Amino acid sequence: MKENFRQSMKWFHTWVGLIVGWVLFFMFLTGTLGYFYQEITRWMEPERPFIEHNISNERLLDIAQNYLSEHAQGVDEWDIMLPNARDQNLRVGWRKPPAAGAKRGKYQKTVLDISTGDKVDSRATGGGRLLYRMHYRLHYLPTKISYWLVGFCSMLMLLAVITGVVIHKKIFTDFFTFRAKKGLVGWLDIHNVLSVIALPFHFMITYSGLLFFLFTYMVLSSNLQLSDDEYSEMRKEIFPRTSHLESANEPKDMLKISHLYQQAKNTWQADELSYVEVFAANDINAQAQFVRHETDITYNPHDAVMVNAVTGEVIIQAPKEYTVSGMIHNGFFSLHEGQFAGPIARWIYFITGLIGTAMIASGLILWTTKRRPKQMKKLNGPDFGYRLVEQLNIGTIVGLPIAIAMYFYANRLLPIELSNRVNWEANVMFISWAILLLYPAFRPATKAWREQLQLAALVYMALPLVNILTTDKHIINSVLQQDWLLVAFDLSLFIIGACFAFSAYKYKTLTLDKKQLTKAAKARATKTKGVVVDKSLLPLQAMHRENS
Amino acid sequence: MVLFCLAMDKHREQILDKCIASTVVGFCRPTAWLVLLSTTYLSVESFGWSIGVAVLFGALTIATLLLILLLTYRAKTVPPVAVLLSLIVSISLVIR
Repeated sequence: MKENFRQSMKWFHTWVGLIVGWVLFFMFLTGTLGYFYQEITRWMEPERPFIEHNISNERLLDIAQNYLSEHAQGVDEWDIMLPNARDQNLRVGWRKPPAAGAKRGKYQKTVLDISTGDKVDSRATGGGRLLYRMHYRLHYLPTKISYWLVGFCSMLMLLAVITGVVIHKKIFTDFFTFRAKKGLVGWLDIHNVLSVIALPFHFMITYSGLLFFLFTYMVLSSNLQLSDDEYSEMRKEIFPRTSHLESANEPKDMLKISHLYQQAKNTWQADELSYVEVFAANDINAQAQFVRHETDITYNPHDAVMVNAVTGEVIIQAPKEYTVSGMIHNGFFSLHEGQFAGPIARWIYFITGLIGTAMIASGLILWTTKRRPKQMKKLNGPDFGYRLVEQLNIGTIVGLPIAIAMYFYANRLLPIELSNRVNWEANVMFISWAILLLYPAFRPATKAWREQLQLAALVYMALPLVNILTTDKHIINSVLQQDWLLVAFDLSLFIIGACFAFSAYKYKTLTLDKKQLTKAAKARATKTKGVVVDKSLLPLQAMHRENS
Repeated sequence: MVLFCLAMDKHREQILDKCIASTVVGFCRPTAWLVLLSTTYLSVESFGWSIGVAVLFGALTIATLLLILLLTYRAKTVPPVAVLLSLIVSISLVIR
């Protein structure tokens, strides 16, 4: 037993952090990228057209309606997604009727080319969606097992966050302290700083993350207390569905959706449409629901306007019945996923997510840094545990970003007709991650760190170049077309590469400094003071010239 | 409009507890709290209670990160940066 409460909390914090640190790093990184999953998907489907400026919502709705009337007759629901800041293309979707024996049909989503009104065929890719899925479903594992694994890690993270606050005695006095020194002090300070500045976020994200699979983790509780009927009642309260009329199978021409949109504009006093859901199209019971971007993390009934598509009247009652539990649930999920976030808030989410990722990374590095002096003095070299942690650190903290860049490379370089292309893009990512995890076993730690950092820099900075060589949606064209989303993506890749390059450079000078200092100290120790002072500087200068 | 508001939240926060000068220390803390409260008010007014609070926390995170990095590497620039940012903020308030 440790001597006091704080010490046992410190032990606990270290252990829970260490056991699941790498999985959490993976989850944090894929989750942070997931905030921009639509943007990533857009970049990974370069066949999609550039953004079209100065086109009215009404015209977009007309194009969509033409396409859907032709290709999606007789389905229950049409979805029309207008271009927005996150995805600059007009998209339509509908659920196909179920195949024999299946309960629900497959959902078909298509991008429409605004100039031709026709669909756009893009390469088969998982896009950002696959990356974001890995955040909670991992990969190569059956879904249920992933949910449990992810839940286990999140629970340990929650414990780590709470114990972290408990052991940080000087949380208020040291609020702004960051002593940027080498070694233990620097890493401890940065770990504290990163954790504290985003503490509300860390706590929120872990707690809300656990809520997602509540019914998996607390299955005993709900099964023992509720009958089947009560269970479905409860689910309806928490996950309310849009209520709408079913198709009456009586065809009737409905008004143009662009005309119906006027009703929504009247309600909102603004032209801010996000997407449209059309139920029972071209039927006597046709309705259209116009939805704008969320204005509340729980529920704002005015965000959706339901209109009778045949007569053009607004249907007054709220399409969704929201209860208290529904609003709490939606609130937490909205917070976790940042559904409500506009461009600036989304970047804030992204940066804060990166802060969380860096927090985990700094904690892992802190562990090895603290134990390094003692481990390096051991007779047969450092312990297996220490070496394992160091290897996993290098392979994950630098290796996983490289692997994600490989995912993007695969998207650009794999042949388009490759069967199972989606799986192969992910395979490339994991194969490269595996290589990068194994590689540090064969190199001394400092060299491995430096080499992987340099590789990361190279890989990220070269990616916009590969983009120029393989597609026409590269940064030069994007700037000319003023398609800022694609510009931002290529630019971010380059900046990330530059950050890695800077880290590699800093790491090199730090490790070299140490060698220079020890050599100079030895030179001075073997000579006497006074006369020889100048001579002892010479080797130092020579070395400096060699290395710079 | 909305964009300017967010700029506001971030920048207003810069004039906070950590005073580099040591003469008017007594005033710093209460002023800092006042500024924080006014930032909260602005955020909630623009985005409503639910999103406003979430955005406020996010903006505070980024602002604190910037402040800490500046403090560590360029401590002398903190007062002029703070003054500059609050000027930008006040101007954007007036514009909207």
